Amino acid sequence: MTAQSETDDVRLIEAGSVPTRFARGWHCLGLIRDFADGKPHQINAFGQKLVVFSGEDGTISVLDGYCRHMGGDLSQGTVKGNEIACPFHDWRWGGDGRCKLVPYAKRTPRLARTAAWPTLQQDGMLFVWNDPEHKEPPQDVTIPRIEGATSDNWTDWHWYTTVVHTNCREIIDNVVDMAHFFYIHGSMPTHFKNIFEGHVATQYMKSAGRPDLSDPEEGVTILGTTSLAAYHGPSFMVDELTYHYEDFDQRTVLINCHYPIDENSFVLQYGIVVEKNPSMPDELAVETAVALGDFVKMGFEQDVEIWRSKTRIDNPLLVEEDGPVYQLRRWYEQFYVDVADVASDMVDRFEFELDTTRPREAWMKEVEANVAARAAMSDSMR
Amino acid sequence: MAVRYDNRLDDMPMVPVDCLRCGAAVRVRKSCWSQTSVQWTGTALGRCEERCTLTQLAAHGDRSLFLACSALNGAIDDAVRAGTLPVVDGVCSD
Repeated sequence: MTAQSETDDVRLIEAGSVPTRFARGWHCLGLIRDFADGKPHQINAFGQKLVVFSGEDGTISVLDGYCRHMGGDLSQGTVKGNEIACPFHDWRWGGDGRCKLVPYAKRTPRLARTAAWPTLQQDGMLFVWNDPEHKEPPQDVTIPRIEGATSDNWTDWHWYTTVVHTNCREIIDNVVDMAHFFYIHGSMPTHFKNIFEGHVATQYMKSAGRPDLSDPEEGVTILGTTSLAAYHGPSFMVDELTYHYEDFDQRTVLINCHYPIDENSFVLQYGIVVEKNPSMPDELAVETAVALGDFVKMGFEQDVEIWRSKTRIDNPLLVEEDGPVYQLRRWYEQFYVDVADVASDMVDRFEFELDTTRPREAWMKEVEANVAARAAMSDSMR
Repeated sequence: MAVRYDNRLDDMPMVPVDCLRCGAAVRVRKSCWSQTSVQWTGTALGRCEERCTLTQLAAHGDRSLFLACSALNGAIDDAVRAGTLPVVDGVCSD
């Protein structure tokens, strides 16, 4: 028999339903170099099929994937001049979404339009503007320039793409989730701060090394990292990530971005550029970018492993040492409502600084126990 | 996608604090001495001198991030000392 008072105490997980609309904002589809081959590319995004193609003039355009004539799949078609030609009846569509030519017809239906997506090409990346209200992107909602992306003193992009089968809110939560960086990613946060303002959500984090995870055989020890990471809009994060070594600091920029395929899956992409310097000549910088890319890949795989089995939760139960999950989600909500319905509490500045003292005490004990266990293990193997 | 209520605010809600320099009215919550949440409004941000200075510098290409206002931080510390801003865990580390 269960007493009524006991059942009252059970906290229920509220999950609601995933949003049926897709976030308003700039979404990075990938690197320009991967789209600039003169062939049409199919992109499944925002619950639709899109076609991305670059014309003879080098302009990259993004259109709805289906021809308005008889529904042919334009991504299976051919680029002809600056237009995409449908594989079904060779109807030609321009990057502006207008029908340009029907080769077998006397008259072209020039007023007919298909959906064309506003694009942005910047720092080697291609972006599309998604807006359920079909408005143009506002001037003040921009993607910041990335200094290293166009400089000879930095490596080229090392870029990774993968599909994740969950709603993309899960990856956004990482902005505030200080403790998961220890438990999931093996780092040791020592400073943690969040700032949300307008369409930007920032995470400032410093981390120390994890002596229990580092390989004592490896020569160079990382003392720690400083990360200034900000989402500019709902899906594009720029992380200015600096590695501190004994002799020098290594600057890197990590992009973490995604676009939704549908409400239950998204394409996750991340890219890295690494600064070259006297301690980091060309070849070594490229190696570092690759190694960092592999490290980040491992980090996201660790996240994915959790996401694979966790439930969506709208009412997380938080302790003081957790970050501002509710405020972050309130910020994120602005991208899922009409512009007219964006409330001030979604965009007003919010600052949060976390005291990591208590978590670090607990984690240092774990680290020391791990180091001791490892030492005992290696002794017994002698 | 309804945004729910943070259970931590049941123990301790955010309380109003005014900056002693510009009068910006914000809401603040302190978990412990070195853990603070600050909720600004558009009006308060418009009054903040340090923020306005940084915005002017930004117009000249300085992209420094506005982390916090030192005058407001002072007002928050004063409010704690005066007892008008309670701290969830008074014994938390300094």
